[in-house]
Amino acid sequence: MAGMFLYRTMQLIVAAGIGLLCLPGTVLAQEQGCAVPASFYDTEPTLPKTAEAIASGQPVLIVTIGGASTLGQAAGSPDLAWPARLAAALTSRFPAARVTVLNRAVARQTTQEMAARLDRDVIALKPTLVIWETGTTDAVRGTEIDELRQTIQDGIDRLRASGAEVVLMDMQFSRHTHAIINFDRYENVLREVTDANDVPLFRRHDIMHYWAESGLFDLMTSDNTKLHLLASRLYDCIGRAVADFITRGVHPGPGTPAVSAGE
Amino acid sequence: MPSDQSREAKQATERDLRLDFFRGIALFSIFIDHVDWNGLVAQFTLQSVGFSDAAEVFIFISGYTAGMVYGRAIERQGLVRAAMRIYHRAWQLYVAHVFLFMQFMATVAYLVDDLNNAIYAEEFRAADFLKEPGVAVIKALTLQFQPDFMDILPLYIVLLAVLPFVLVGFRLWPAGVLVASFGLWCAVQLNKSVSLAAYPGPDQVWYFNPFSWQALFFLGAWCGWRGIKGRIPWLTNRWLFRLALAGALAAFLIRFSWTLHRFYDPFPALFGRALLPLLSKTNLSLLRFANVLSLALLAARLIPPQAKFLAGRAARPIVMCGRHSLHVFCLGILLSTIGRLVINEFLGGTLLQCVFLAAGIAIMIGFAALMDWFNAEQSLSSPQVLQASTTDRGG
Repeated sequence: MAGMFLYRTMQLIVAAGIGLLCLPGTVLAQEQGCAVPASFYDTEPTLPKTAEAIASGQPVLIVTIGGASTLGQAAGSPDLAWPARLAAALTSRFPAARVTVLNRAVARQTTQEMAARLDRDVIALKPTLVIWETGTTDAVRGTEIDELRQTIQDGIDRLRASGAEVVLMDMQFSRHTHAIINFDRYENVLREVTDANDVPLFRRHDIMHYWAESGLFDLMTSDNTKLHLLASRLYDCIGRAVADFITRGVHPGPGTPAVSAGE
Repeated sequence: MPSDQSREAKQATERDLRLDFFRGIALFSIFIDHVDWNGLVAQFTLQSVGFSDAAEVFIFISGYTAGMVYGRAIERQGLVRAAMRIYHRAWQLYVAHVFLFMQFMATVAYLVDDLNNAIYAEEFRAADFLKEPGVAVIKALTLQFQPDFMDILPLYIVLLAVLPFVLVGFRLWPAGVLVASFGLWCAVQLNKSVSLAAYPGPDQVWYFNPFSWQALFFLGAWCGWRGIKGRIPWLTNRWLFRLALAGALAAFLIRFSWTLHRFYDPFPALFGRALLPLLSKTNLSLLRFANVLSLALLAARLIPPQAKFLAGRAARPIVMCGRHSLHVFCLGILLSTIGRLVINEFLGGTLLQCVFLAAGIAIMIGFAALMDWFNAEQSLSSPQVLQASTTDRGG
């Protein structure tokens, strides 16, 4: 009980933004804080190859492509970016699995620019799963909607033709940017294209909104060190949530805990 | 048939309440969609009725009204005076556009510290207008910078700027003008590079491609202009009506399946994958164009211009908003920006959104009522002003 109370209090403190007392190590250990309700996930797991490979201990190569938030610059180090945290979460959850995550993000690229380097940076690696984070730069720069839809469609087709499974990830949530950037149209395109192609969409925007709503993150700070801490916490949570998301269909072998107890 | 003639003359002088009513609905839809396009309430605005949405309805009705009002003005006051009035209207829209841009820049200024000091700061360095606000101001004045939802007024302004020439064309050779307008729309459908460049370049274009959207506006203008002289005979064709009914119904059912699919995943989104690429809003695709025309035909045939419910109390707030469309439209844009700020600031969910939407619509209605009252006051003190204020509502 006391532990629970302490935990709640800490959550409150964090929420109020008074003290980010935690050092990176302890921050990352915050396990349940960033749980995501099942309603944010599609009903059916649609990544059979990846799930199968993880469950059977075959090598799994996950390639992530995206922008600044995937590169993880805000956290200060690539090890703290969500793809690295995803790898850690998968390893701790499925110790028998042989998962490699390669991060091929480049800051401030439009979907078109990312699509142009899919062949070289992604498909050439023969990945099992590609997680494509996109849409933000397009919204910021105002890419034409039809062109964006076409580019994503082509990208999905090419990735799938190469034998890879695909997950898309939408933009980050922020409290203020919606007033000046029209994200809705772009989010809508991602939702429509993934839905039409049965590609799972990791709804990062809504999930972050949920976390912000439940007081987990303030997402706003003027202090650089605090920003790094905040970002690394956020990316860790995203990494875990993505691990949850892509392994919904995985049934771990005997002796493997379904949910890891910690790191 | 003197009685028939007098009835038509009477109809011509009375305001067609359907125009105000549906424009009012479009204004509410635009406001709701702008606050959160993917939100719950937005699933039940005009976008849920078919492939087209509030933008098409707004532009078509604006074209119709402009054709009717300024067509009449040309007959009565001559071309030069009518053109002066059109450009005066375009100027008002331009001023409104600049005002909205000021409001946008003020929002940016208010948020700029947050943008530079947040987790997503890196992503925002892609925003040119933050790096070079001076250029952004100039590009906004030349209508090339259309951030956020500042994209429909620029379209409207350029359409009005061309309107005098089109109205002259209607008098000289209406079929030729219509064919040219439709031809331009076809050109866009065949070649997407027929577009206007926008800021920041090099690939950005106007969200509403004026070369395709003009076809809807000027077709509306033609209907309004032609309607002055009495009925358009082929519009009452039974087969045309059936075709429109079938088209609108099919579009509604397909679109409705998408709405259902959204709320309940196992329900299939009919033809979703095939149709999505055919629904370009930027270029006003054929499906959207045909959809809004069939809806317009159905509304025109099924609802009489002076229908009881349009003049009744229930419809009155909507009709009032439609009557003062420019002011209410600008107010809606302003409110939706504030709404997105407030709702996100308080991390509001659907409930807060609903409260805000209700408040926003109440403000829009209250404002329109105030304008109504003010105009009536003015007209009591000077009949000249009534003339100007009632006739200047074209578009």
